[in-house]
Amino acid sequence: MEFILIPILASLIWAFLPIKSRWIASGLSLISLVVLLTKYNQGSFPDGLVVFDQPWLGESVRFTLVIDQITWFMLFLTQLLLPIIVLSVKDQNQKLIAWAFLMQAGLNGVFMAQDGLIFYLFWELAMIPIYFITLQFSEKDNFVTTIRFFIYTFVGSLAMLASLIYLASLSGGSFAYADLLNTQLSHAQSLIIGGGLLLAFAVKIPIFPFHLWQADTYTNSPAQGSMLLSGIMLKMGLYGLIRWYMPLAAESIDFYQPIVMTLAVVGIIYGGIIAIRQDDMKRITAYSSLSHVGLIAAGFFTLNSSGFNGGLLQMLVHGLNVVGMFLIIDIIQKNTNTRNLSELGGIASKYKFFTVLFFIIVIGTAAAPLTSGFPGEFMLLNSVFKYNSIHGVLSGLTIILCAVYMLRIFQKSALGSNEIAMSEVSFVDYVPLIIVAFSVLFIGLFPQVILEIFTLSVEKLMLDISNAKGVLS
Amino acid sequence: MIGIALVFFGGVVTLFLGLNKAESKSLWILRFFMLLSAVLSGAESQGWIDFSTLFKWVPSHMLSFNAFKLSMVSILSFFGFFILSLLPSSQKKGADVLGLFAFALTGAMMMVGSQHLVMLFLGLEVLSIPLFVLAGSEKEDIYGNEAAMKYFLMGAFSTAVFLLGAAYTYGGSGTLVLAEIQMKLSFAAHFGEFPVLLKAGVILMSVGLLFKVSAVPFHFWSPDVYEGSPNRVATFMAVIVKVAGFVAFAQLINTFSPMQIWINQWIVPVSILTILAGNIAALVQKTVKRTLAYSSISHAGYLLLFLILPMEENLPILGTYLLSYGLGTIILFYLMDKYSADGEKSFEMYKNIRNNKIDLAALVIGSLSIAGVPSTIGFVAKYQLFSAAFSQNHYSVYLALLGSAISIAYYFKPFRYALAESNEVDVKQVSNDGLFTQICLITGMLLIISLGLLPMITERIF
Repeated sequence: MEFILIPILASLIWAFLPIKSRWIASGLSLISLVVLLTKYNQGSFPDGLVVFDQPWLGESVRFTLVIDQITWFMLFLTQLLLPIIVLSVKDQNQKLIAWAFLMQAGLNGVFMAQDGLIFYLFWELAMIPIYFITLQFSEKDNFVTTIRFFIYTFVGSLAMLASLIYLASLSGGSFAYADLLNTQLSHAQSLIIGGGLLLAFAVKIPIFPFHLWQADTYTNSPAQGSMLLSGIMLKMGLYGLIRWYMPLAAESIDFYQPIVMTLAVVGIIYGGIIAIRQDDMKRITAYSSLSHVGLIAAGFFTLNSSGFNGGLLQMLVHGLNVVGMFLIIDIIQKNTNTRNLSELGGIASKYKFFTVLFFIIVIGTAAAPLTSGFPGEFMLLNSVFKYNSIHGVLSGLTIILCAVYMLRIFQKSALGSNEIAMSEVSFVDYVPLIIVAFSVLFIGLFPQVILEIFTLSVEKLMLDISNAKGVLS
Repeated sequence: MIGIALVFFGGVVTLFLGLNKAESKSLWILRFFMLLSAVLSGAESQGWIDFSTLFKWVPSHMLSFNAFKLSMVSILSFFGFFILSLLPSSQKKGADVLGLFAFALTGAMMMVGSQHLVMLFLGLEVLSIPLFVLAGSEKEDIYGNEAAMKYFLMGAFSTAVFLLGAAYTYGGSGTLVLAEIQMKLSFAAHFGEFPVLLKAGVILMSVGLLFKVSAVPFHFWSPDVYEGSPNRVATFMAVIVKVAGFVAFAQLINTFSPMQIWINQWIVPVSILTILAGNIAALVQKTVKRTLAYSSISHAGYLLLFLILPMEENLPILGTYLLSYGLGTIILFYLMDKYSADGEKSFEMYKNIRNNKIDLAALVIGSLSIAGVPSTIGFVAKYQLFSAAFSQNHYSVYLALLGSAISIAYYFKPFRYALAESNEVDVKQVSNDGLFTQICLITGMLLIISLGLLPMITERIF
């Protein structure tokens, strides 16, 4: 419960007290990280530990929060990224921080909820702040983009709500995870229920034809909005896939697996190719994100342990890297007033240290060996290849495409003779960058440290899924 | 019962005391009686006090209140108080308008408590006739006159249809007492066939009520009437008439519950049509007031879904939904009224809201709640209604969810002007309301949020 109450309190403090320092805001967001780290033992239960349980609405809905290893890992991802994001907020956008804290509460709730309706409640609660962030602090009139974003995701969530209500009506009215898990579905029922859940998650991830909200929303949002969206919120969708869709509607996996795998691979290549052609650095990062999360989704759908472990690891890595990219873009834009590659160049000759950090993040995103992108991506590609060699080969293109557009970003902005006028990068801006760059090297060298956090729970989860699948066959 | 007595008495007292004073001065008296009625009826519905010995002389087959109806009376009085507190009063002399509000509210309570078709009809008329006058209470306003005329013609027509239905029902069953009709019907159910007169009766009475709650295809009057009427009256129509109308409607359909399967066959299409037509039409409206009118039509559609449920055990769902609908609607109407004072009728009016933090919060919370976004009571209400309706009819719930998704597009429209930083152009300072209004507004917001996060409270209320 503390992971929900602390951010809400922080949000209220920030909204109503006149404090205006980014350091204090970061400090506030560090509290929940510290609390989480002291509760590491709570995250060592592969079966999950019930941390809060109260009746919420009637007999059927209970406010149940559970922490297992995967949840702990997702909480870690959220609490780790939030201070970084908060620290990078521009001075004129200070009000944004209150929304960000509220969103943190929603995200933490999504990861801990062990009851269908409570999950939905937090799912939307995480959605509202980001809508207001993208609307309120954007550079130009952003209403059409944000309303498209909200309606896309809201339609998805309503489909999920319909599925959950349907599932609960079959389980005798209870929304509890265990009851939903033990409900036996006929093939047709599982297709409807699974389809609704899958739609919600596919929009949020986003998987290829449901990505239309993504590029514009990322581009027009303030940098912190893009970071929150791509760094943390996409992971809600991926987490939902493995925690909610696969175990609950396992009977439908055989039907949806080839569809989703193909769409994900299409998205990987499509995102990569479009990213190469863009001029706006934010759009490149948006499409690269589409490509990367497509690979994670594909890895999950292979249903083997290498895919699950690699996907979870890659969630953290992608979160850090994409936040790092948006940080860099934000700093460049703040100091040069542009983020178009055609107008940039020559940063390296003036800012050596900045360029080094920039380069580390670039190669980390491009998954060079010994950087953080490599182990996860290797495991994912390995699993996709095991599923189907054609899919494997095609999704392997991501490494090449990613290298092309990432190095293109670096080349066009940092190298070249174009002497761009750029003011000094301040110390506050360096701190989050250093953290991200350090993580790129650390995870690249010691991926096992991260993998050990969640391996046991992954095994338990995969057992649940295969049990649920086995009911029918 | 104490509610009817108090509000009626309050209306009379206001009329006499306010004869020669400005309206705003006598308003306090009426507010006091409405609040008292809300508190006392609420306390009686929870069983804390008992006034039944006081009203023994009222024949219980005509008018009687159980716990649920008492809480609805309490909510109606509270909404009346809320409307009269939030929406500003006119500066004219005389308390005639206030008296009419009180009498209309009395009629609404009579509808809620009616056990007899004549009583139901009487309540309907007592509610409607003051509203016909109120719609035209701005005598110089040409649109107000149009609204009053339209509302009168439609209202008179629909009550006539209702009365015809009641007559057929009497012809088919030989009684006008709801409980006896139900008994006769359950006898008839054993023989498998229902009298045609009763079928015609229930259809005609439903048409009359569908007119009142403005469901498709009987909704055409409502946007015009809302637009022409003074804002306070339009809010009253959107909230009080619908709340009372749906409680009475539920009671009526419950009376005919032995034919429920047959009734569902035409309630479900009407409900879906109302949801879709209301939401889609709201998308293309230019003025805020018409958008809100269509929004209230779409909510009538969701509420019609309630009528297909088995009634008795599901009444709390109806109560929660009406409570959430009323709170959200009153807040949105209040903001519309406040920011359209300078004549701006389109959504651009909301650009002036950005300097007023409380109003901005109210706009966000009210819109989110009425759109049914989680963490507000609007979500709890919609969730309960849809999940109960799901067990009866899957497709209608899917379509209702689609309607909710569409509604986001217009409920979020104000945010474009109210929030987006880049729109910062010539913001006018709108004068602040008094402390009392602000307290009422904050109370409303807190109710929406707290009932949304802790829905077990609503289970206690109903």
